[in-house]
Amino acid sequence: MQGRVIEVLVAAGDSVAAGDDLVVIEAMKMELPVQSPAAGRVKSVSVVVGDQVLDGTVLVVLA
Amino acid sequence: MTATERQDNARSAGAGWEPELEELQRRREFAARMGGEEGVARQHAQGKLTVRERIDKLADPGTFREFMGLVGSATYTDGKLESFTPNAAVNGFCQVDGRKVVLNGGDFTVRGGSGGSAHGGLGMELSASIRALEWRVPYIRLLDAAGGSVRSFEDMGRTYLPDGNSFTAPDIKLLRAVPVISAVLGSVAGLPAVNACIAHFNVMVKGTSQLFPGGPPVVKAALGYDVTKEELGGWEMHTSRSGVIDNLAESEAEALGMIRTFLTYLPGNVWEMAPRAECGDAPDRREERLLNIIPRNRRRAYNARHIVDDVVDRDSFFEIAPGYGRARITGLARLNGYPVGVMANNPLFGASTDVAAGEKVMRLIQLCDTFHIPMISFADEPGFMVGMESERAGIERAGARLVMVTCDSQMPWATVVVNQLYGVAGQCQHRPTGMFQRYAWPSANWGSMHIEGGTAAAYRREIEAAPDPEAKLAEIEARLKAMASPFLTAEATGQDIIDPRDTRRLLCEFVEEAQPILRSQLGQTSMPYHP
Repeated sequence: MQGRVIEVLVAAGDSVAAGDDLVVIEAMKMELPVQSPAAGRVKSVSVVVGDQVLDGTVLVVLA
Repeated sequence: MTATERQDNARSAGAGWEPELEELQRRREFAARMGGEEGVARQHAQGKLTVRERIDKLADPGTFREFMGLVGSATYTDGKLESFTPNAAVNGFCQVDGRKVVLNGGDFTVRGGSGGSAHGGLGMELSASIRALEWRVPYIRLLDAAGGSVRSFEDMGRTYLPDGNSFTAPDIKLLRAVPVISAVLGSVAGLPAVNACIAHFNVMVKGTSQLFPGGPPVVKAALGYDVTKEELGGWEMHTSRSGVIDNLAESEAEALGMIRTFLTYLPGNVWEMAPRAECGDAPDRREERLLNIIPRNRRRAYNARHIVDDVVDRDSFFEIAPGYGRARITGLARLNGYPVGVMANNPLFGASTDVAAGEKVMRLIQLCDTFHIPMISFADEPGFMVGMESERAGIERAGARLVMVTCDSQMPWATVVVNQLYGVAGQCQHRPTGMFQRYAWPSANWGSMHIEGGTAAAYRREIEAAPDPEAKLAEIEARLKAMASPFLTAEATGQDIIDPRDTRRLLCEFVEEAQPILRSQLGQTSMPYHP
């Protein structure tokens, strides 16, 4: 499913807990929060608001 | 004195049947070697188990009772058995978690599983499928066979008409009588590939199993292009794109485990009740998370799986076809120990019913109807999927079939409207006959059509004629939205609105009340199960 990044909620260096929202993507008129699968530190964020993303696109890399 | 009498006399004089028993033993030993050392080594090198190793893993220890194990081809010297190659199939009864089943396993080490069993010869013993049908026990296929081979023409000295339906017919009858499960455990083509789908549940193994009517050489000959068997019929194709296979296992052991798990929810046949499990989870457990799981911001998606997990018995949900038709979560679970079918629209994948999600739903409804298992649905349905892709896939015909399967089913059914319920797809969350209960959460909203989008269509002339069309549209939308409260519907229809935290308790009570109804419905139902 294709979507557009509408919010980026973390930046490199941030600590995140499992279940925290990282990025919000809009597709099919719905806002889909992408949640952290695990606790960790954000190594890098690969998208900015407005980017079109596809299934498999890397959004955030956790260290 | 006749020859027989002379032999009888000789035996009673001391010579017993030991030589024959020894020969029986030798034949069994030959059969246990399957296609021979080389074939077995090749099977292992491919990362696959042999059919007999698979049976050892699936069957409860010591319960396997083979039948037709003496079928095969032998060579003789001076009338004495020299060698014996079994047929490319191993059949038998066994127990799985203490319950009897029939197993039919293909043996790839014998001629690539081809010509798996001689069918229909005069005096032939009953096939595995007919025994499952007549004994009324679940039927499990461990598929690892290539189907028909042109080599058989040389053996027969002729070709033959493809009349395989004469021995596939019992497999079709099985779908309305006992649970049927197929595991695809190798490269499977021809009839075995179709048999993979003549089942209530099927599974394949990542990397070692593929299926197609004809493999890469057949594709090359017919269509002229090169393709690998993994691209053509591997897990990516069949567990996410085509939906031909329900579940993906990382190993053969995991695939066999899924078969065992699936069986725990089902009765042995349609004349029996599904088995109730011990339940350590209180029926009146209330999960606080459910209260606010539906965001007030209607555009914000949530994970419907959390609703399923919070309501059903702890860790009892077994998801079916998780990679396909992802707009709907489907599977089996338990409520207070009783097996139930469960489905939930999934907003993380759009929630809208498309053809793929619809196919999954139809199979789940038919499964529940056939085996007398109540249906539990968590509805958040924006309506059938719209757009070019959905039209190309034939959404209206799929929708018609979904309406039909919904109306034709009879098992007790409860729908919990957690959020949206729109259009004909929303209509498919309701059945006007039989034991049907609908609850709504306070977050629910519904209609024949969405107010946004629907207003522009229904009031087009009025809006266009207005001096400020946009203001007119907003005005009409506001008027309609004021009517959207579920309480206004409840005032008129009696629709029950519940605290989401009470959902588990109410559904446990529903499923308990459903038991006498299910008992009265035992036997074969009027709606056939379509693969």
